[in-house]
Amino acid sequence: MKWRHHGLIDLDDWTREELEIFLQQADYMEELLGRPIKKVPALRGKMIVNFFYEPSTRTKVSFELAEKMLSADVVNWSASGSSVSKGETMKDTAWTLEAMGADAVVIRHGAVGAADYLSKKLSRASVFNAGDGTHRHPTQALLDIHTAWKKLGGLEGRRMSIIGDILHSRVARSDIKAFSKMGVKVTVSGPATLMPRDIQSLGAEYEPDPHKAVKSADILYLLRIQKERQHQGLIPSFDEYHKRYGATSELVNEAGEKSVVMHPGPVNRRVEIASDVVDGEKSLILKQVRSGVAVRMALLYLCLGGVRS
Amino acid sequence: MILLKGATLFDGEKLHDDPRDILISDGRIREIGKIQETEDIETIDLRGKIACPGFIDIHVHFREPGFEWREDITTGARSAAAGGYSTVVTMPNTEPPVDNPSMVEFALWKGQRSCAARVLPAGCVTHGRAGKFMAELGKMADAGAVFFTDDGSPIATSGLVRTALLYSIDTGVRIMEHPEETSLTEGGQVNEGLASSVSGLKGMPASGEYIDIARGIALCRETSAPIHFTHVSTAMAMEAIQKAKLEGLPVTCDVTAHHLSLDENHILVSRFDSTYKVNPPLRSRSDVSSLWQAIANGTVDAIITDHAPWHLDEKDVPFQEAPFGIASLECSVAVVLDTWLKLGRPVSLESLLKLFTSSPASLLPEQWQGLGRIKEDSIADITILDLDESRIVDTGNWESKAANCPWNGEMLSGWPVATFLNGIPFKREEN
Repeated sequence: MKWRHHGLIDLDDWTREELEIFLQQADYMEELLGRPIKKVPALRGKMIVNFFYEPSTRTKVSFELAEKMLSADVVNWSASGSSVSKGETMKDTAWTLEAMGADAVVIRHGAVGAADYLSKKLSRASVFNAGDGTHRHPTQALLDIHTAWKKLGGLEGRRMSIIGDILHSRVARSDIKAFSKMGVKVTVSGPATLMPRDIQSLGAEYEPDPHKAVKSADILYLLRIQKERQHQGLIPSFDEYHKRYGATSELVNEAGEKSVVMHPGPVNRRVEIASDVVDGEKSLILKQVRSGVAVRMALLYLCLGGVRS
Repeated sequence: MILLKGATLFDGEKLHDDPRDILISDGRIREIGKIQETEDIETIDLRGKIACPGFIDIHVHFREPGFEWREDITTGARSAAAGGYSTVVTMPNTEPPVDNPSMVEFALWKGQRSCAARVLPAGCVTHGRAGKFMAELGKMADAGAVFFTDDGSPIATSGLVRTALLYSIDTGVRIMEHPEETSLTEGGQVNEGLASSVSGLKGMPASGEYIDIARGIALCRETSAPIHFTHVSTAMAMEAIQKAKLEGLPVTCDVTAHHLSLDENHILVSRFDSTYKVNPPLRSRSDVSSLWQAIANGTVDAIITDHAPWHLDEKDVPFQEAPFGIASLECSVAVVLDTWLKLGRPVSLESLLKLFTSSPASLLPEQWQGLGRIKEDSIADITILDLDESRIVDTGNWESKAANCPWNGEMLSGWPVATFLNGIPFKREEN
């Protein structure tokens, strides 16, 4: 099968079959990462620009590592200290990068639709969405399904509960779609002030009570609660949040016996998740990080690599 | 003298079945009926077309003074005439705002100089549009202001709405409210519902519109002063207005061409094209059909453009960073007619045309109320429609400076083909 995607804005137009091919490829990359010499020449001579308007640690570092493992030439461009801080528009910055010969641009931006916008402006370079505002974070979804798929040995018929701030979460929006496509039934939970109005349009069910939501769940997925939400008055306090919706070991024990716990990081210990759960044996949090590099390698290889099989 | 020959006549009230000729001289309509051509009369053959009173748009933004790179009163007036409107009401949210009689006179003077469309300014309700103290409504009314509004924002407090309503009665000029309860909409980008859920962008709930309208209706009931709600976009708000009208309150409202033809899905399908970003936001499909129902049951008093021109550089940014507004003066009539045709004519043509003519005219101060009619001796403001005309929207040919138009490149059917102001037809510049 010929790989037809040259970039990734969102996963809406990926078929399940493509996701499955992708997961195999990511597995292979993960195996590569375990070797003493990890670097392969797949993207030698390709120039990739990491264009991060927003601060990011794990996404940025893992993209950069993935690019380097594949021998691409990597340029990091951040908003502060560049022409962006001098008021250059995104259109002009994009055209400048393309004129310099970039083959691909990885973009993280606080505005919804930023990756869509960039891809409409670039005629040649591929665009990879590393998160656009509250909208999408497709590589996070890829690494999440990869981690869970590997651990659980397949995803069809599984149940997933996502607990937290669905309203502002690009991770939730991307994960609900990707996991549903893999045959997972997704339930979301959390305070109603942090839920989108039309949750069904995302393809998930809402269960306000986290205890009911986690019952018989195979995957417990916690979302980071940002400090801002308390200032906005959407939750009264972190302590109350932790008490009602936090992933304590009691809550985790109410889920399926072989269930796993996931979180996109960075975690707020004692807010959305208790320390003993973060560090507990059900936690896949560090596996997600490792998978993040492999998944981004697979993505760049499939979309930019010379050989497409 | 000009003789308009053979058009079907819509006189502002009734669409006559048989063709009627119209004779114009010295800016007035001299005769209507079967009129013989003679050599000294310029005759225009309008068979198959509809002659209407000049269309009136009671809500446009012409950006002058302060933001002339987006639009000015001259290009705005020319854009109106090119779009079939002979009269427009300009909103006062300029810099400085139109909050005193000198500013009203400035807008009138610039409008007259355009010789394209009748520009009637609205004045601010509050001084500096700052929502603190009432502006000089009386002086502005005397200078020629035709509405009072803080449009762009709602009137800041209920107390101010009440004061302005009471004070405006004596001026003969109506208060126009931009209905928005800002504590519910602050930071909002799209409709709360599908668009906000899918994108994660902050939603503007229908209640944000309804609550302001409920406030206005309550104060209208207490003061008996007329109040007009502009760009009403939700079913919930429309229902409240319909009830108030049934109660006999002097409440009126308008809807925009874009809320009648576009819904929140357009934002998603276009992958966040910023031309669809507008306030109030594009609503749900059922809201759109409720607006058509409101036209059918007589709740709507006018169709407007809310023409909000922006420079391309300002709009050509990611959706979340773009300013709100759609520029549509030059295609809005076609947008409405095209939508009406595609929906299978959900209301009569007569009742649709009233919303561009006699009905908005009745909301203006008394001296302008005749603008919405074609009758002998009335001012010869006339719009000619051709329902069979199909054309592609091309902002590159616009008189307007703006291009932030979602219909650019789209084929629409049903166009205004001529606009007469004081008996003189508008001509585009040859280039």
